[in-house]
Amino acid sequence: MKKKKRAKIKIVIIAALVLLLLFCAVFAGVLAPHDPSTPNAAAIRMAPCAEYPLGTDNLGRCVLSRVLFGGRTTIAATFLLVLISFVVGTLIGIFSGYYGGLLDKFLMRLADVFLAFPQMVVAIAVAGILNGGLMGAMVALGITMWVSFARLARSHTASLKNEAYIQAAAFAGKSDLNILLVHIFPNLLTPVLTQALTQIGTTMIGLSGLSFLGLGVVPPTPEWGAMIAEARAYIQIAPWAIMGPAAAVIVTIVLFNYLGDAVMDYREV
Amino acid sequence: MIGKILKKLASLIVILIILSFLVFGLMDLAPGDPAERKLSEQGIAISREVLEAERAKMGLDKPFFVRYGEWFSGIIRGDFGDSYKDDMPVGPKLAAGLKNTLILTVSSLLAALVIAFPLSVISAFRKNGIIDHIVRVLSFIGNSLPNFLISILLMYFLCIKLNLFPIIAKGTVEGLLLPVLSLSIPMAGRFIRQMRAEILDQLKEDYVSGMQGRGVKQGFIVMNVLWNSLGHIFTIIALQIGSLMGGSVVIETIFRWPGIGKLVMDSITARDYPVILGFVIILGVIYVVINQLSDILHHVLDPRTTL
Amino acid sequence: MAERLLDIKDLWVAYEEIEAVKGACLYVEKGEVLCIVGESGSGKSTLIRAITGSSMITVKGSILLEGEDLVPMKKRERQKLLGTKIGLIQQNPAGAFNPIRTFDKQFRETLKSHDILFDNEKLDQLFVTLGLKDTQGILKSRPYEMSGGMNQRIAIAAAMLMDPELLLCDEITSALDVTTAIAVTDELLRLKNEKGTTIILVTHNLGIAANIADKIAIMSKGEVIEFGSADQVLYDPQREYTRNLLRDVPKLIEK
Repeated sequence: MKKKKRAKIKIVIIAALVLLLLFCAVFAGVLAPHDPSTPNAAAIRMAPCAEYPLGTDNLGRCVLSRVLFGGRTTIAATFLLVLISFVVGTLIGIFSGYYGGLLDKFLMRLADVFLAFPQMVVAIAVAGILNGGLMGAMVALGITMWVSFARLARSHTASLKNEAYIQAAAFAGKSDLNILLVHIFPNLLTPVLTQALTQIGTTMIGLSGLSFLGLGVVPPTPEWGAMIAEARAYIQIAPWAIMGPAAAVIVTIVLFNYLGDAVMDYREV
Repeated sequence: MIGKILKKLASLIVILIILSFLVFGLMDLAPGDPAERKLSEQGIAISREVLEAERAKMGLDKPFFVRYGEWFSGIIRGDFGDSYKDDMPVGPKLAAGLKNTLILTVSSLLAALVIAFPLSVISAFRKNGIIDHIVRVLSFIGNSLPNFLISILLMYFLCIKLNLFPIIAKGTVEGLLLPVLSLSIPMAGRFIRQMRAEILDQLKEDYVSGMQGRGVKQGFIVMNVLWNSLGHIFTIIALQIGSLMGGSVVIETIFRWPGIGKLVMDSITARDYPVILGFVIILGVIYVVINQLSDILHHVLDPRTTL
Repeated sequence: MAERLLDIKDLWVAYEEIEAVKGACLYVEKGEVLCIVGESGSGKSTLIRAITGSSMITVKGSILLEGEDLVPMKKRERQKLLGTKIGLIQQNPAGAFNPIRTFDKQFRETLKSHDILFDNEKLDQLFVTLGLKDTQGILKSRPYEMSGGMNQRIAIAAAMLMDPELLLCDEITSALDVTTAIAVTDELLRLKNEKGTTIILVTHNLGIAANIADKIAIMSKGEVIEFGSADQVLYDPQREYTRNLLRDVPKLIEK
């Protein structure tokens, strides 16, 4: 009990920090001191100062403003991608697990095939071929991401299906849709949501990695990976242009991963 | 046993056909005409006849399934087609890149294992001790760092601030050091987390308390636990090879390491599709084969697991 | 009065701040079988843990083994007692051994840990007493290939191979089917008679206790509510709780 309480407090604290982070991203427009994409010829590669708290980049753009707006891009894209994979994967998993039979066999074989690919290798190739900016990068990562959700949802549905109360509901003449929505979906929501939470950090690493390679967000749209890639060329002259987005990437991924770990711990105690 | 291995081999081929078909299809859907692009890059004035001729030469005028069939049967014979960029066969290019990539990735894998294995063993057997806490924090951070970020931070602090290494040093051992570190640090973080969890799971098994009840020496218990974890550890390693391959593309680009990853990034810029396809197929085959092998190995180590 | 091999006095055991054993007093004389009977959660298994010295629990009171108190002993010294002085067999029959390692290797590891030489003849004899045929065949196989009853017999053999003075058996038959359970208890009794080993057997089954016990202790909610010779407890129970338990074993009362 004591352990559970401690784990709960941990979750609340990290969740508060995560919310703060989301707040910064959502209200980037209000919080940013400058426009993120307006170059300023008078302030090229300025070290951090009162006017530009995190300095400026090669074009004289405010690094802090770009980090804030970049957070919006990165976090929104990550959330959207995880959400879509979550919905698609869970739906496939539920139907596969509930109806079983040939459909199940087919879908799970398909999942096996996708699981057999090295995810980043496929993502790089697909994003490279699509050449479609952020959308392309999201498709490239999404191709393999739904699988873990589908497998998890399937295994939970398949075991829930045989529970006495669900059998009873079926005997009582409840429709399949009713059983799926009322009995099965709420029961597998927790494990699948936890899975979604733990995927956020990995997805963010993947997306910013693709952007870093130039296969994701197209400049001048601010995005952390792309900012780091741009500023790499002049790291010796203006390291602050890298340190800003670098710190943002680390803090964000650490926070989300830590939240995922904390929730997993909580469910285990 | 042999029948099952053959069955695995068959499923491997199915996986590869689907993978190649997907990527090939995607390439076909991609915007832009490779023939047109190639001609304009060579500065040739594009007329209808020239374009048609070039398309015929590149085999682009045939129907999709015919092209796919030709390409796939070529691959089985080891022929990856000709580059769109310079008409040279893609196979030798990929082979040269692969050799360098293997040097980089195998050393990174070994480095990550040398770091991760002892640390996860100590961490698990001294759970909640000081070392465990430190190792857990470090592995957590390592796991949360994208390797492009690590490589840049390492470059900045070790090369620029401390002046320990040249920034670009191809071919030398020193040149290998930073790329290897960049790849192995996050991988070691993931290894430690997974291996530690696996050993802790084994420690919870009844046989451990059974052995303790017989007064079996700790050394034997450690040996039994590690032996039983080994199958899972091989699986953990095999699964990480995927992200190692993805990471090496990033690292090769940053450090200009002449591997298959750098080659594919250059080819993406040049829209040189045969190279991209070859890259996916080769790495896909390696990854799938390694994972199937690890399954077989796991089954040999622990016959209770199904093949 | 015969010598007391194990003498537990006013033992309190807490498991994560929950008192699992409250002021237990009981003893067993050399060569006797003591059965501790109780429902699950009565604290009987925790009592066994206190004797073997688990690190998960806090213990107050004293546990005298041949007059020497185990409670204040260092962990390392206590671990030395396990195997040669105190043998332990646990509930899960598949749990005594590493499931994927051959019995041969595991027997050797066990014996090596106590610097005892591997004695094939002695093992053979033990196996025969326990109704196990084909010693060499068993040694070559792995636990996961064996049935629960076989595994439990082999676990008993492994414990007895080191000639412990006290053998602790924690619910060793509850995972087995009835006929196997009876066979295993009979064989255990035969071994005890051959070797003169003292046995503490924890069970929720008063029937088994009635079959083999010299002394019986009844535990409920962490307390030893009744303790005495088997006849005393079975035919002249002092507590309502014991009488209720006995009602579930009707044949005994008729006798």
